[in-house]
Formats: sequence, structure tokens, C-alpha cells
Amino acid sequence: MLIFTLRRLSLFIFTMILLTVLSFSLSFLFPGDALVNMSGAINATPAQLTNLQQSYQTQSNIFWQYIVYLEHIINGNLGISMASQSDIGKEILSLLPATIELSLAALFVAMLIGIPLGFIAAIKHNKATDNIILSVSMLGYSIPVFWLGLLAILTFSITLGWFPSAGKISLLFEIELITGIQFIDILLSDSPYKWQAFSDATAHIILPAFVVAMAPATIFIRLARTSMIEVLETSYIKAANAKGLTFQQIIFRHAIRNALIKIIRHVGLQFANLITIAMVTEVIFSWPGIGRWLIESIYHRDYTAIQSGLLVLSCFIFVVHIFTDFIYAALNPLARGK
Amino acid sequence: MARDKIYLEEVFPSPFMQHWQIFRKTPVAMAGFSCFIFLIVLAIFGPILAPHSPVEGQLDMLLLPPAWHADGNVSYLLGTDELGRDMLSRLMYGTSLTFGLSFVVVITSLIVGVVIGSLSALTTGLKSSFLNHFLDVILSIPSLLLAIIIVAILGPGINNTVWAVVMVLIPQFIHITRYAVKEESRKDYVLASRLDGASKFRILYYSIFPNIVDRIMSQATLAQSAAILDIATLGFLGLGAQIPLPEWGATLANGLDLFYIAPWTVYLPGLAILFAVVATNLVGEGIRHALKLRKDR
Amino acid sequence: MNLLDIRNLSIELLHDEQRILAVDKVSLSMKEGEVRGLVGESGSGKSLLAQAIVGVLNDKWHVHADRFHWRGVDLLRLSIAERKVILSRDIAMIFQEPMACLDPTTTIGEQLSEAIDEQSLTGFFWQKKQQRNQAAVKLLHKVGIKKPDTCLDSYPHQLTETLCQRVMIAIALARRPMLLIADEPTAAMENTNQGQIFRLLASLNQLKKMSILLISHDLENITHWTNTITVMYSGQFVEAGTTEQIFNKPLHPYTKALVDSSPSANFHLPAKSRLMTLPGSIPILQHLPIGCRLGPRCPRAQKACVIAPTVTNFHGHKVSCHFPLLPIKSSAKAVKSSAKAVKGAC
Repeated sequence: MLIFTLRRLSLFIFTMILLTVLSFSLSFLFPGDALVNMSGAINATPAQLTNLQQSYQTQSNIFWQYIVYLEHIINGNLGISMASQSDIGKEILSLLPATIELSLAALFVAMLIGIPLGFIAAIKHNKATDNIILSVSMLGYSIPVFWLGLLAILTFSITLGWFPSAGKISLLFEIELITGIQFIDILLSDSPYKWQAFSDATAHIILPAFVVAMAPATIFIRLARTSMIEVLETSYIKAANAKGLTFQQIIFRHAIRNALIKIIRHVGLQFANLITIAMVTEVIFSWPGIGRWLIESIYHRDYTAIQSGLLVLSCFIFVVHIFTDFIYAALNPLARGK
Repeated sequence: MARDKIYLEEVFPSPFMQHWQIFRKTPVAMAGFSCFIFLIVLAIFGPILAPHSPVEGQLDMLLLPPAWHADGNVSYLLGTDELGRDMLSRLMYGTSLTFGLSFVVVITSLIVGVVIGSLSALTTGLKSSFLNHFLDVILSIPSLLLAIIIVAILGPGINNTVWAVVMVLIPQFIHITRYAVKEESRKDYVLASRLDGASKFRILYYSIFPNIVDRIMSQATLAQSAAILDIATLGFLGLGAQIPLPEWGATLANGLDLFYIAPWTVYLPGLAILFAVVATNLVGEGIRHALKLRKDR
Repeated sequence: MNLLDIRNLSIELLHDEQRILAVDKVSLSMKEGEVRGLVGESGSGKSLLAQAIVGVLNDKWHVHADRFHWRGVDLLRLSIAERKVILSRDIAMIFQEPMACLDPTTTIGEQLSEAIDEQSLTGFFWQKKQQRNQAAVKLLHKVGIKKPDTCLDSYPHQLTETLCQRVMIAIALARRPMLLIADEPTAAMENTNQGQIFRLLASLNQLKKMSILLISHDLENITHWTNTITVMYSGQFVEAGTTEQIFNKPLHPYTKALVDSSPSANFHLPAKSRLMTLPGSIPILQHLPIGCRLGPRCPRAQKACVIAPTVTNFHGHKVSCHFPLLPIKSSAKAVKSSAKAVKGAC
């Protein structure tokens, strides 16, 4: 397990270096002056500019400049937004939790729906149930997410009026930001309308979460199905059968566990996919998350914001990736040694 | 009369032909394949066949509903949008933009990716390990996010979108080719031909490629559906094709304001995207199905 | 009374809308306390037959038989569920590649204790748990594992192949079966380890009166351990008899070839001479010959061989051949009867 941790750690450091190099080079790739791109000080006076030049050490060689840039990032100084001239680090901190909330809710929904359905399809392999589940899942991951979001708004919030169509909570509720994760904040707050706020927030998250969950859920269906079919064909299932275990015992004690392990491996990869879908969905549902903010910064050509937003988002994805790797290792006795 | 075959002989077709034979027997895959061919034909000849101009509108025909609707007009089969542009023609032109461009994108990145991937599979040591990590990192960034970043660098527009998607897809092809070549070259038949003194490139070309071609094809269909969705999504977000161009995603975004008055301006492009992606995925599914069956034998 | 009595069991495979008889009317019977060897080349359907007996074949295979009796009970009349109850109670099976037959994510202890019969335990669930653990340790002792506690906590990949096979045997013993089917238990094992496993099986047979059906592709290897042997070729029954009968006086040309091909049975063979072998190789399932499937390779094949021979019984030594290798007197009779069969068929 120690070797495993060290290996992941080295991969993590390598990736972080690569991501920061990428982000650093973006400021040269974007149109305009690299220093302005990096700091976001678009209306700076000459005096401020020299100050910034000092701080980012633009006179020294490129390698040293990168080191200084790294230092800035580690200190949490991501520059200021070109569009609003506010501190990007703070903005991201206030927006990222909303994205985490949405994506985790969607991941949860996707796994909760996708994995059992996939298992059912595998157990009923080559029967009608299997084919129906497969066809639905094929449709599910072919559907463009923005279209699905629009259809969902039209049906569920406009025609049926079940769920609100935009935002993450009704403006009537004032919730103090403590952790940034809204549900925790609501539970922590001492507002008398706590439970109304809670149910309102739940109603707001359901629609976007399901829209985001659609494509990953169908991928989980397929993953669960193939891994379950693979597991059911192994000799240890046959041996368990010969041992005299009932079908339910075989499925619940041996098959599900082994199949789940294979799926967990892919959750990290799927999460990256899910974040992209969440970005588009945030735009459609006006969800105040980092994805919508990032896309708006592209409209405004706010290069500093794009650069830092990308860095934070890909770091977040990678952290989740490593995290799932650890879960995988904890569940799978075979992977620990490697 | 001489008979050609006296004994009952097993004819062993090449892996690719075996694959095709299995593929042909799957009706669903063939249906997807014919839709795919239809889309390609439409992408090439769409501009000739389209009844109206996709860009210039008839000002007296604003927001006409589709022909089956009571207020519809048969000469505008799928209705018109808020500028009186014929939806059918816009969709037909859009085929060559969204589907056709994504096809070109996939072919381009396939060629580049496979060449780089197979060359990199021959490298070993530090270089190879660095490349491995590098690819891991690139692949861990979602493709659409990467495309958005590239578009942000290059600036919005359909040309830049195409370049962005090509650049996003190349690492995927490198990865799959590299992996497949490495896996294949560990097998004994490659060892045998290496012992026969075949050069690296000869092994690559004659021994390995015929055996991995179907895996690359399968990846190509995945890439194709991703490319369609990415181009459409960028168009929808206003980062891809710009306003007058009838790209499907952009057309859909265009209809967004009139969603409640003229829902067909949103339904139809969405359906078109769905159709194209489903057709592509059916082909991919068929390829993977055949791949699995062939392995089971 | 026979423990197991199977008559004309066939296993079919649907392949490209075509039915392939993978196992063609094989009969097999076992007595109590008997060790029977089931011998044939790889691909001759031995494993299929064993898996069909235990009932673990998947839906692709269709099994039917004329008679399938277990201790006098006609299993064909029972429903699948009832059959499974009886079979899993009385018959246990161990497979080749023991490592693959153990769930890689579950400890040995868990896998062993879930095989222990619920009815043999008494008391509340915590007491049961302890009893299960004790029973598991006892079982591991029985199969000669010296450190049962460490073994119980390990995962299959931490053990050696031989230890895994011992664990498999322990799992098989957990229900105190009457019959143990061992499907090439020593494939991919070294010679010394093979001996260990065989000795363990033999001692179990003697101490517990457990019948064993030992499946192997190597006739020579198992003759020391078996009382009786059944030989199969390409899914067809070839010959069955006591080990001495099969080894010393084989009646079927195929068995003769098998025996002749083993050097230790032919120590009188002059030095540097060739071992006797049959020409050709075992046919693939898609192109099975009609009639006796050995036909194209058989040195004694004649016209009659295009019709599948029936089983003839010579004092408990059963053979399925038109032209068995008999002393002159009785072979003439057999030839006559098979000639009649040919005429009748034409």
C-alpha cells in the first residue's frame, strides 16, 4: 500500500507540474501581453505595471518566471479578473463548491441508476430486458446534453411546473456561506425557514443533476453490464455454483463485488466527462458554478480567468481521479501490491 | 471435369474481412451503417439538393411551422425560422458542417494519431514513460474543456473549432494505437516474425496493423460521435460556428429565444444531432460486437 | 447399487444455427467408494460431461440423457431446483486452475465457510459464526494445510497453486459429498505437487469412502490411483473397464494406441525405436466425422465404421467398436453382429 501511495503521489506531482506548465504557457499563447494575461491587470498604471513586473520577475529567464508563477499559485494569488477586476481566487472559491455539489449529486444519481440497471442487463444477458436497457442507454449517450436540458426545462418546469428551471435556490432564502456547499450551509444555518430552504434547494438541484447524470449513467450501465458479464463467465462463479450456493448468494457475495471493483476504476475517468457536461448544463440552468463562469469569461475574453479556471478545474478532476484510484486499491486486494 | 476443391477446406479470411462478415449479419449495425452512408452522401450533396438558401430568408414566410401543421406550407417542409429561412435547407447544409466536418476531423486526427502512436509504441525507456504520463494527463482533461480552451486561444469560429477538435482527438488516437500496438507486440506471433529477422516497420505493417485495425475503427466511431457532439456544443455555446452558418448546434441556439413560439426550431436541429450520433454509435456498436464475437471464436 | 448411473448422455452446442454434438451418447456409472478415471485427449468432452453432471453448464449447451440416476433417484424427473439441491449436497467438484476458481476479492476463510452446510450448525448467529470458523480450520487440517489460521485470512493470489487446490478440495469436502469430481486437478502443476494432490485424494477415498471421478488427459498418470477407467474420444464413449483390463488388455484400437504411446507401459520396446501413435489429430467440433469418430484415424477402420458402433459388454469390460481387439473366437461374433447392423442401416 505504501508503494501504491508513493506511485500515486509521484503521478500527482508530475501532473500538477504539467498542468501548471500548461497554464503558464497559456498566458503566452493568449493574445496580448503575457504579464497582463497572467495578472489580469488590464488597466494598470505604468507604476503598477513595474510593480507587477517585479512581482512576476519578467526580466529573468523563462524557467525562473515559471517558478515565480508557481509561487504565486501556491500562495493562492491567481490574479484578478480582466472583466470585473475582482480577485479570481476568491471568485473561484465561491463558485467551485456549487459545481462540486452539482457534479457529485449527478455522479451519485448516475451510479445509483446506471450500475443496478447494468447488472440487471447482464444477468438477463441476451434477453428482452437486456436489449431494452441497451437501446435506452445507447439513446442516452447519443443525446446532446444542451438539447436534453432544454427538453427537460420545457417538460418539467414549464409544462408540468414540477421543478424550477434556473438557479440553485430561490432568492427568498438568505443562506450564509460557510462551507460553500449549499446543503451543508442550510443545515448549519439557524434560519427558521431551514427546512423550506432545504426542500427548495433540493427541488432546484434535481433537474440539472438528472440532466448531467444522463450520459454518465448510460456509460455506467454499459460498464456494469460488460464487467458483470465478464465476472459471471469466470471459473470462480462456476466453482461457487458447483459449491451449492444459490443464484442470489453467488450474485450478492461474489459477482457484485468483483464487478464493482472493475467499475470503480472507470469512475475517475467518467468524472472528467461529467464535469464537461456539468459546464454546459450550468449555462442552460443558470447554475452559479465554475463552468458557467468559465464560459462567460471566454465570451469576455477574460484570459486570466480562463487560465486559472482551467487550472483549478483540471486539478479538481485529477484529485477525484486519484481519490477513486485509492478506493479501487482499498477494495481490490490484487491492486495493492502493484 | 476438374474440380477446384477436392477436400473440404476452411477458408480463413483476413481479420478485417472476418470482421465485415460478422458485421454484415447484424441487422441493427447495418441499419446504422446505412444511415451513416446516407449522412455522408447528404453531407457531400446536401448543398446541391437543398431547396432554398440556408442564409437568405423569405421575409413573408417568418416562423412557418412544419408542413404537417395546419398552418404549414409544403414548399417549406420543416418550416422556417424567425428570419424566414427554410429549416430543411438549413439542416441539409448543417449536415456538411456538423457531420461532414466531424468526419473530416476524425479522419485527420486518426491518420496523425495512428502514425504518432505506432511510432511511439516502438520507443522504450524514459521517453516512453514520459509520454505515458503526458498522455494520461492530457486524457484526464475532458475533451470538450480542452476544445473550449483551444478555441479561447484561437478565438471563436468554425475553422478554429475544427482545429480544436482535431487537436483534442489526436491524443486519444495516439493512446489507443500505442496501447494496441504494445499489447499486440507482446504476443508470440510477433516474436516469431521478429525471430525471422523482420524489421520493426515490417512487423508493424504486416503483422500488427491487420490485427488492430478494428480496434482503431471502433475508436474512430467513438471519436466521431464525440466530434459531432463537441462541434455542436461549441456551436451552441456560441464559440463555434458563427451566426449565419447553419451548423446544427448554432441553429439550435438560434432558436432558443423563440423556443415557446416556434419549438420546431429547437426540436429539429436537436433531432438531427441525435440521429447522426445514434447512427455513428450503432456502427461503433456493431464493430465492437463483431470484435467480441471474433475474439470468442 | 450404483451411486451414479448415466445412460446415453448427449450435450449439444448451438453454433451458427447448427447443432454440434459435443458429447455423443456417453454412458457412465459409478459405484460407492470407487475411484474412476475418465480419460481422453483435450477436447474429447470430459470436462463438459463432468460439468453437465454437476449442472454448471451455461445456457449455450443443451444436455439430455436417457437415464440419469443418483443413488436410485431418477434426477430427470425432478425439477431443476430439486435436482440442484440433491446434486450440491452429494456431489462436489474441483476444477483445473484452482487459482482462477477462487474469488480473488474474498478471503479463503469466507469462501470456505460459506460452503459449510447451514444445517450442521446450531445456536445463534454469533455461535454459528464461531462454529463455521472452527469447521473451516478443521477442513483445512483435513487437506493437510499446516497453518490454517494464516491461510484463512489470505487472498487466493497470496497462496501457491497447490495450496489453492487443497483449499478447493477443502471447500468440496465441506458438504461431505458422496462423490467428488476432480477435473484435471493437477493440470499445470509440477510432478511432486501432483503426487501430493493425488495422495490426498486417495486417502480421502479410503478414509471417507468417498467416490472420486478423476478426469485426466494422461492415462499413464492416473492408473496408480484408479480402480476403473472410462475412455472417451472426441465426445464419444470408447471403452470402460477396470484399470487392469484397460491397461493390459485394451479392446478398442484407440485405447490400444493410448497405452502403446506411453513409454512406461512399453518398457520391452527396443531402444531408439518409435513409439506407436495414431496418424492425424482429434477432429475439430465443426467437422466431426460421421459414425465412429475415430474412423479416419483408426488402423482397423472398415466400411462398417461410418455407422456409430453400439456398446458391447465383455464381462464388465465395455467397448464401443465394430472390430474390437479380441481373441479370435469372440471377435468373429462381434464382426458378424456389426455387419448385421450395417446391413440393417443400409
